[in-house]
Amino acid sequence: MEQKDTIPVICSNLAKAAEKQQNPGMAAEYSALAEKYDDGKPSAEDLAGLKTLITEDLTVYPDLQKAAESAGDRGAQRALRWGQKVTAIQKSLIDRFLSKGDALLDGKGLFVCEACGFIFLGDSAPDICPVCKAPVSRFSKV
Amino acid sequence: MYASRNLAKCTKDCLCLFVCPTGATDTETGQIDSSKCLDGCRLCVDACPSHAIFLVMDNYPEPEPKNSEVADKMLNFCAAKYGQEKSAEAIADSSASEAEKKLAAALKQSLRIVAEDCAREAGYMLPQCEKAQEFKAELGG
Ligand code: SF4
Ligand code: SF4
Repeated sequence: MEQKDTIPVICSNLAKAAEKQQNPGMAAEYSALAEKYDDGKPSAEDLAGLKTLITEDLTVYPDLQKAAESAGDRGAQRALRWGQKVTAIQKSLIDRFLSKGDALLDGKGLFVCEACGFIFLGDSAPDICPVCKAPVSRFSKV
Repeated sequence: MYASRNLAKCTKDCLCLFVCPTGATDTETGQIDSSKCLDGCRLCVDACPSHAIFLVMDNYPEPEPKNSEVADKMLNFCAAKYGQEKSAEAIADSSASEAEKKLAAALKQSLRIVAEDCAREAGYMLPQCEKAQEFKAELGG
């Protein structure tokens, strides 16, 4: 059995994959499991604590990238490239919020790329995701 | 294999209705009736002027097994991102500032997507592959 705090994520990922295959029955099965096991605990108490964890992750990416390279795993290398960029964006948004406060979001929207997790702060979502090149239709407004 | 329509691209020109030998393309829901679709026929796929129809496979090849060291590392990372997602969720629920709530909600979404990508590259990409099916059975799903 995989460690417990990966179960809801594995399941929600498989549910999305089943949806893409137009298999609503299988998607529903995995979604139900994703919800049932979604009882994880926060690992940080506030935004500053979350920033610390995210900053630590940024130092882990290069090692993981090396491991994926030496295993010849192109899929993992791709995921790590996107993940590293998105994680850097997460950190910079928290940084900017911690220094500017609520004013950072004044009159602006937040848009998340459903394909890679890139977060955009601005008036409207970009035409193409700068991290993964997904089209504007893959962005959702928070 | 059966045909499926991308509803966002379909321009309702109805050429698929003319070519389909079984009427599978003519439905109330707008989606093609896969139970009437002839395996691999693809007449509607080629006829559609909007490139709105594609064939969905019902059998996928078993993926290459992942290097276990990389898979373990990706899963550890997945778990870490999930804990961060839960942190963002708690901040979004409890913060008094609307702006902070919104930022935390965006982080929550983003962290789940990154975590899912780690899970995918740890070998949980195809819901019907052996590894995923075993995992589901263990969960009682
Ligand atoms: S041929 Fe294509 S565009 Fe026309 S109705 Fe069928 S799916 Fe829609
Ligand atoms: S693949 Fe053939 S049988 Fe299936 S919906 Fe298209 S035209 Fe009809």
